[in-house]
Amino acid sequence: MSRTRPMNCIIPPYILEKLMESDDRDVRQAALATLLTTARLRGERSVRASFAAAAAPGNGRRTIFDCEQTESFTNALVARSEDGPASLDDSVNRAFDALGLTRDFFKEVFQRNSVDGRGMRLEGFVHYGFMYDNAFWDGRRMVFGDGDGDSVGDLTGSLDVIAHELAHGVTDFTSGFEYHNQSGALNESMSDVFGSLVKQWSLKQTVEEADWLIGADVWTPAIEGDALRSLKAPGTAFAGDPQPDRMGKFVHAPDTFFGDWGAVHSNSGIPNKAFYLACAGIGGFAWETIGPVWYESLKASTADDQFQDFADTTFQKAGQLFGDGSPEQSAVLAGWQEVEVPLRSVPSGLARARSFAFNGHGGAGREDGMAALTRQIGALSDKVTGLAKEVAQLKGAGVR
Amino acid sequence: MRVTLESYGGLAAAANLRRRPNVLNTDDLPESAAAELARLVAAAVAMPEEEPDGRARDAMSYVITVDDGGRSTVLTQSDTAKSPAFAALLAWLRVHFAQQR
Repeated sequence: MSRTRPMNCIIPPYILEKLMESDDRDVRQAALATLLTTARLRGERSVRASFAAAAAPGNGRRTIFDCEQTESFTNALVARSEDGPASLDDSVNRAFDALGLTRDFFKEVFQRNSVDGRGMRLEGFVHYGFMYDNAFWDGRRMVFGDGDGDSVGDLTGSLDVIAHELAHGVTDFTSGFEYHNQSGALNESMSDVFGSLVKQWSLKQTVEEADWLIGADVWTPAIEGDALRSLKAPGTAFAGDPQPDRMGKFVHAPDTFFGDWGAVHSNSGIPNKAFYLACAGIGGFAWETIGPVWYESLKASTADDQFQDFADTTFQKAGQLFGDGSPEQSAVLAGWQEVEVPLRSVPSGLARARSFAFNGHGGAGREDGMAALTRQIGALSDKVTGLAKEVAQLKGAGVR
Repeated sequence: MRVTLESYGGLAAAANLRRRPNVLNTDDLPESAAAELARLVAAAVAMPEEEPDGRARDAMSYVITVDDGGRSTVLTQSDTAKSPAFAALLAWLRVHFAQQR
């Protein structure tokens, strides 16, 4: 991908301050002039930013700030606002557009007004740090680095990554999944799920057409076809991808930053795969079928929920949204069964029927569990009816 | 003086587990750069560490280890909780290691 903003187009303040110490008088004067100009610009933009922040919240209005390759938020410049003109900086415009698409997705598909459901303003900070190869949500803003150009490109180049970060905010304002171990993996998984759904929705892709990848546009720009994660096939996104696709491969790691808080970015592969399988079992547009099941389940979950808790919730919500025994509910059950997360709330007969009906090849199977169970019940009823008739005939014979 | 920078976590945390630490030795630096680095290290060591912010998602954490004269000092901070002095040292190291690539 192209890097439209060379990393040397801005001189960081600490380098200017260093140049102020130069023995060369011309260098000192040039550095001083630049610092004064920058300070004046900062002052003007800071005033504009403060007005923007002071305005009433509403409808997820966007503001994009330029960190100018520093790691400071307070000195970041306003680069584009909701009603302002497009920027000359592609990173700014990409972040602006992606935040808008994500906001619109939640509004149109789930009737959710921004991150907090109450129109929270969306703030994106681009060009964070020097060759910073990451993006994160800090609890109130989304932050994007330019990448190192080798392992990671400009993080604004991926809609699903930007949607992933914004979805962290949505999770914080709903279930608040604690960011460690299984609840942390659920937190990460929700961001991957909604990140992928936003991309599918914006491209109007069916389950079959979608790539189900996260970060394909920014991960190792020189290598085609790889990505940060795959919901469809966890563990295959890149060479050495450690994501498990079932509980039998669950990654055990320390609940510290050394261990990624219990491998939250690895074990998210398990619920990710369950979601994909449920969607694949139904087909069509995932945001119209299983997407709402996951969203309603997120809202109904609590902060310390484990995989099994969330799986139970999705099964119940699928029943509420589409009906008990519906193909959607059966697809949800099949998805969790395939990744080896048992559900507590499912009648054992249905779970067994679902297992028998499941095709075992990564899909939810064409025969849903309720249908299989219904057939079994029907066959038993026929036998009972037949037996009843025989008994009646015998009684009749006895009477005579 | 030997300075090691390790980075953990982030959006690509699963892949970053395999990331190798960056190491420099001030003996290999120009005198002025070595002096500047020593000043940044001293400032970072002197400034109290920031309390971690539990709300951050996908943020990265950093461990900077300074080995000098048989003594080892370890500084640990993160994207959303780092002192200004630690941030200045981290920025200097980022630029240095990027130039070495």
